[in-house]
Amino acid sequence: MMAWAIVRHRFASFAGTFVAIALGVAVVACSVTLYLSSRPQPPERYDASPVMVQAPSVGTNDFSESEIRSWTTSELTDLATKLRPEPRITNVIPDPVFYVQELGTEDMGTAQLDGHSWSSAALGGYRLTAGRAPEKRGEVVIGTSLRKGTGAGGSIEVLTAVGPETWTVTGTTDGGGYYVTDSDALARSSGVRVIGLTVTGDPERIADSARALIGTSGTVLTGPDRAALEPAKVTRIRWIGAQLLIAMVVLGAFATVFVVASTCALTASQRRRELGLLRAAGATPAQVRRLMYAETALIALLAGLVGAPLGAVLAPLVAGPMVSFGLEPPGYEATWQPAAVGGAVLLGLVVALAGVAVAARRASKVPPLAALREAAAETRSMTPSRWVFGLLSLAAGAGLLAAMPTMATESKTTAGMGAAMLLLTTAALLAPVVIGPLVRLATGPWRGSATGMLVREGTLTGVRRVASTAAPVLVTVGMTVLLTGMVATIDEAAGIDEAADIPAATVLAPDGTPGLGETAVSAQTGTSRLDTRVLVTHGSAVTGEDATGVAGAPVTLSPEAAKELGASIGSAINLRWADGTVASLPVEKIDVNAAAPVVLPRDLVRRHDPDALTALVVLKGDPQPAAGGRVLSARDYAREQVDEEGDLVDLFLWVLIGLTAGYTAIAVASTLLMATAARGPEFRALRLAGAGLGQVLRVTTAEALLAAVVGALLGGAVGVFSLTGVRAAVEDEMGREVALIIPWAAGIGVAILCAVLAVAATAVPVLRRTELAR
Amino acid sequence: MELRAVTKRYGHAENAVTALDAVDARFAPGTFTAVMGPSGSGKSTLLQCSAGLDRVTGGEVRIDGVPITDLSERALTRLRRSRVGFVFQTFNLIPALTAAQNVVLPLRLAGRRPQPSEVTARLTEVGLAERAGHRPAELSGGQQQRVAIARALITRPAVIFADEPTGALDARSGAEVLRLLRTAVDRHGQTIVMVTHDPVAAAHADRVLFLADGRVVDDLTGPVGSEKIAVHTARLEESAR
Repeated sequence: MMAWAIVRHRFASFAGTFVAIALGVAVVACSVTLYLSSRPQPPERYDASPVMVQAPSVGTNDFSESEIRSWTTSELTDLATKLRPEPRITNVIPDPVFYVQELGTEDMGTAQLDGHSWSSAALGGYRLTAGRAPEKRGEVVIGTSLRKGTGAGGSIEVLTAVGPETWTVTGTTDGGGYYVTDSDALARSSGVRVIGLTVTGDPERIADSARALIGTSGTVLTGPDRAALEPAKVTRIRWIGAQLLIAMVVLGAFATVFVVASTCALTASQRRRELGLLRAAGATPAQVRRLMYAETALIALLAGLVGAPLGAVLAPLVAGPMVSFGLEPPGYEATWQPAAVGGAVLLGLVVALAGVAVAARRASKVPPLAALREAAAETRSMTPSRWVFGLLSLAAGAGLLAAMPTMATESKTTAGMGAAMLLLTTAALLAPVVIGPLVRLATGPWRGSATGMLVREGTLTGVRRVASTAAPVLVTVGMTVLLTGMVATIDEAAGIDEAADIPAATVLAPDGTPGLGETAVSAQTGTSRLDTRVLVTHGSAVTGEDATGVAGAPVTLSPEAAKELGASIGSAINLRWADGTVASLPVEKIDVNAAAPVVLPRDLVRRHDPDALTALVVLKGDPQPAAGGRVLSARDYAREQVDEEGDLVDLFLWVLIGLTAGYTAIAVASTLLMATAARGPEFRALRLAGAGLGQVLRVTTAEALLAAVVGALLGGAVGVFSLTGVRAAVEDEMGREVALIIPWAAGIGVAILCAVLAVAATAVPVLRRTELAR
Repeated sequence: MELRAVTKRYGHAENAVTALDAVDARFAPGTFTAVMGPSGSGKSTLLQCSAGLDRVTGGEVRIDGVPITDLSERALTRLRRSRVGFVFQTFNLIPALTAAQNVVLPLRLAGRRPQPSEVTARLTEVGLAERAGHRPAELSGGQQQRVAIARALITRPAVIFADEPTGALDARSGAEVLRLLRTAVDRHGQTIVMVTHDPVAAAHADRVLFLADGRVVDDLTGPVGSEKIAVHTARLEESAR
């Protein structure tokens, strides 16, 4: 009853907390909706095949994806023979996939998944909409969605792993992609890893009998489990998007706890009198604490009910841009995710209660006597718990930074962010220690003036208030400095690295295609690499290795690969090719400068991986024109590669900084609005004592600026400190010195933005009070 | 309600200030005592220490026979909730709650579900039955103070402490508040200790304690006229100068 009455009566004083939680919940609801919408799906192409068989998994790779081997042609025949006797299985259809792209189009990242066998169209329930099925090599049925206007009987220019080809279109279908004859598709693909079954009857039962029939030579999947058949390429795209979404959720939750904690502390200190009165009326400390929790829970719930739907509504709007930035696969849509919305509300509640915990503990210690006193000027701003938690988080943050060089590469960025969050918490907790000296220093020159005196005494007796308003500025500046500095430092280091080993040559690179076809490469004089992947058996383990085919090269291993595979010169490595066949090859060379972990003769690679593409040809002679390729200098090519990666990093950076800065900017404004509004009587007294409106404004502006400066300095310090840790980690990885790049412009820019907001947010409540403005 | 050799010092060592210096006092049940004295005489400290709002430096305070000096904060709160009522100079109502809600607050804090008739009875006693649903901001100062009195009375406490209850009121509202306090003593046998500097207010009491420099310097019993009190006060202030 009490909590509800209080929340309803003085909603304005909870506005800061409300806004913080609502925004946090919106961000989390939106990100989690997007994340959950992006779970791997059974490909649409398999809609009419409820039971499918996947080739056996032989282990997991570094991305914790399964390494699936291919079936050989004879294994495929064998499987079909085993499955046919089951009467409820109407057809057994292997699903080879290969690269096709219409000449002159841009690959959106999925061209390597567009070529199919005509019989596999049945797995999606696709039918001919016109014409007839392909009957011989060079004939194709194309999806109607693919190219309007090309009907049966026409021809189409395409690029494949072979090179440019002209196919006769014999028909069209309601499915997507290109469908050639089964034998043609088998010959073009890099092995078959999926068999689809068309069935009549209960899929689960059929799956059971299929399992019994084939044993360990395949994994039988039904229903939603068929999501495991999503192509790795698509899954990888989802993975990139997920990284950003996870970072957004973490950052959103952190910013919410942070801001809620500081606004709750502020509210509690503003309500000392009221809380003291409650104590005098007979409330136990536990009751006061419960009241604070109940109020915050109510606010959090209300805020969640506003924020969560907002996030759910925003998600579909964000989905489109995510696809166009390559963070989600084409066709991705945000769907209604009740778990995300409900979870976000719940998270908001938990986070808010965590944020209010300290303030509630403090509030419960308000003595009943506080009811009898005028809002006292606080004298002691540092409490033991501030010291304890501040120093603890300092130790944890510094420890994390120190441990970074020894961590695995992929956890370094996470560790850097974690350390920064801990150090930001430290700075916020210990801020009161430095505010005093800083205020004395800053107001020193104006000690004689009334404004100077008021600002000085006002802030010195309100250190906690200054700390509360400085906190959001601290997070914004700290995070901006760290994130931009981190990227700039790594970029700089990587830039030197790239420049170091680029030969002054001309290269042939893919032009809007995933790679170069065979004819494009063979027309050139130069060196090239034909990339593939092999599964190497060593002992009882199987390891997937990136391999490359180089013309005339001996079987070569990099020292790392040799160590991992336990191979030495002269020993044989047992590998399985992309097409599923196995081979035993003697290692001829171990080379530090090997082009890939495993280097193999090019013609062998081509024979066992018909769909392999060449990423680049380093030209020795004059370039020959080739479809799907373009000629440029090696340096330009390298720059493009770096830029492409840089674009993605920049995108991440801007999203995360935008999120933090936007969030905390609102927090700066709302905290200051709250703090200033509560000081009405103080300013009224000031006006009655003869201060002009201008003088009052000067005092509030100076105080706001002071808080912003304190936050910016502390945040900047934390950012730079964390950066040195990141640099140490990068140096350790690269084995040489790396320049520390401090992003002054970004840091100062964000600080100025915060200061402007702070000044505006203090001026508004002063000007709105008519008795002050008069 | 009893104080034995109560001493209260603020600060440490050399610059300590003695606010109460071994004060002995007893407030008999069903009596109305006014505590007077010049500014800084320790009258507010006396009230805060007696009510358990502040801890004493030495001596003992008993409420209803229970020594409160060694009670934990929790036990003290419980005792205060059930045995002590407060009326402050600045009303101190919770702005978010209605008059009726403010009145029942101590009961609710004690986990009790008040009878509506009980609330109405209390509000009727202070003449505000029809304002039960109004919030403090919608009430005049005198009305707010009457709500505060109803709140203090509702637990039937052993003692009510009133700290300058008329200090912020005009003469008429003040008189009304004092009449209510007097009625509580006469009709319900309520014990009231009131700190005031107003001789007219003190004249409503059965007994007037005069404090100076943290000590009881005078103790007038029986109905005491306001003029006599004023004379005493003037003399004390004279000697304090």
